[in-house]
Amino acid sequence: MGLKTVGQRVPRVDGLTKAVGQAVYAGDMEMPGMLYGKALRSAYAHAKILSIDTSSAEKIPGVHVVLTAKDIPGINKFGLAILDQPVLAADKVRMRGDAIALVAAESGDIAEEALQAIKVSYEELPGIYTIEAGLADNAPLIHEEMGTNLLQHTKVRKGNIQEGFARADVVVENTYYTQRAEHAYLEPETSLATIDVSGNVTIWTSTQYVFRDRRQIAPVLGIPTNRVRVIQAATGGAFGGKDDITTEIQAGLLALKTKRPVRVTWSRAESMVCSTKRHPMKIWCKTGATKDGRLVALEGTVYSDKGAYCSIGHFITKKAGLHLSGPYHIPHISVDTFAVYTNNTVSGPFRGFGILQSALAHESQMDMLAERLGMSPWEIRMLNA
Amino acid sequence: MALIALDLTVNGKQTQVQVEEDKNLLYLIREVLGLKGAKEGCGEGDCGACTVILDGKAVNSCLVLAVQAQGKELVTIEGLGRPDNPHPLQRAFVEEGAIQCGYCTPGMILSAKALLDYNPSPTGSEIRTAMSGNLCRCTGYQKIIRAVQKASNSMAEGKEVL
Ligand code: FES
Ligand code: FES
Repeated sequence: MGLKTVGQRVPRVDGLTKAVGQAVYAGDMEMPGMLYGKALRSAYAHAKILSIDTSSAEKIPGVHVVLTAKDIPGINKFGLAILDQPVLAADKVRMRGDAIALVAAESGDIAEEALQAIKVSYEELPGIYTIEAGLADNAPLIHEEMGTNLLQHTKVRKGNIQEGFARADVVVENTYYTQRAEHAYLEPETSLATIDVSGNVTIWTSTQYVFRDRRQIAPVLGIPTNRVRVIQAATGGAFGGKDDITTEIQAGLLALKTKRPVRVTWSRAESMVCSTKRHPMKIWCKTGATKDGRLVALEGTVYSDKGAYCSIGHFITKKAGLHLSGPYHIPHISVDTFAVYTNNTVSGPFRGFGILQSALAHESQMDMLAERLGMSPWEIRMLNA
Repeated sequence: MALIALDLTVNGKQTQVQVEEDKNLLYLIREVLGLKGAKEGCGEGDCGACTVILDGKAVNSCLVLAVQAQGKELVTIEGLGRPDNPHPLQRAFVEEGAIQCGYCTPGMILSAKALLDYNPSPTGSEIRTAMSGNLCRCTGYQKIIRAVQKASNSMAEGKEVL
């Protein structure tokens, strides 16, 4: 048919710019009068903040501003789906790496020195580091206003589960655990924010979703969304990890307060501690098949470790449940999912959105069923696909 | 911190700079010389995004003190080709689809260049060894290795000169 593009090998439009080192990432940008922003991170996973003393930090020459929760002009909350994450922790911290204060200074070194000079006194609270501890009776609450650490419970029901298992000749039942994982995109999170004479804020950033970013930035800055412009710079990998707000609000707040361009870049260590991770999950699965290898019933539970905040993890957890049957036809299904807050690092989107965790469970079940039935792993899959 | 004056060759040009004595070579390149092609991925020698060529050897510029560049010859990605006249390695990376986000790319290409300067016809395993200090999270390594192989072949056939 002589199509020019479809079915042809075409070079990336930005390939050559990247190959010669001319692609501009947010960290490559500089502006006249630009300041360097940094965040003070929580030393504890779960603690009350008793006091924050920024006075000595403010006196360091070259420090332009030190901000804490009380300086936020708008709301002190953000979140991809639910606004449950503070921009700057006010009364308590819920995970290691919660931001407590922001500094803008003439250089990164001065900003770092200022962070060291901020004194925070904490009262440590009992922490929750497992799903089980989060759901235990009388568990300490991570978000008190919710009255529970259970963020969400969803159900999948199809057919009649008792009837399904009654028809099963073999049943395989197992519990699977998956680990937390870091995206480790090669470019750490970076944003550069500027403010113009009319108060419009422009933020160049390493992100995945500029519109969702501006919808979260504007309410914190206390300005209408149409006064916030977010521009995606060349982005050095993301894999779901830059779906959430990272440095955007921090840079925006500092620019708003100093009226200077401010660039915030997280160190690799900071990125490891603060950015979202793939949800660790505990998946229990009971799968029944007839002796000729046909799947007849699936019962399961999926528990996800949300870490301290939702991000979009209620949806990811639900999706793990929706995919627990894998690509197979199963007439009778009963699956429950539970998203549980803990004091671990916040879990969020990461390639697969919960489906990988489920795949470990349903594919392991298939192998074990095949073994029990004396079938080949290929045969049982083809039969049920 | 005291400022130290340095003389070095940057991409073929004799250059004089001043830099704080505690800064690393990556800082000198990005912040003092303003060459933004070298990237910082980790700042501690793990990722290779900051790779440049110093006196013919690929180095992690985050692990070299700026003052160690005194009297040396520095090559950064800006010293290879330009978009209208790319280096064979740069062309091969584009053609082989060895670039996705591109953050690892300058470091990858410079590691490959240091290899080809020293060993113009490397085997697959020699390429793998030479590139083992450069991490890529997007593309995977097959296409990158193919790109280096391709550049080496086209240079050997004399179709391309350095
Ligand atoms: S920044 Fe130098 S090795 Fe990662
Ligand atoms: S292309 Fe993104 S890290 Fe290599």
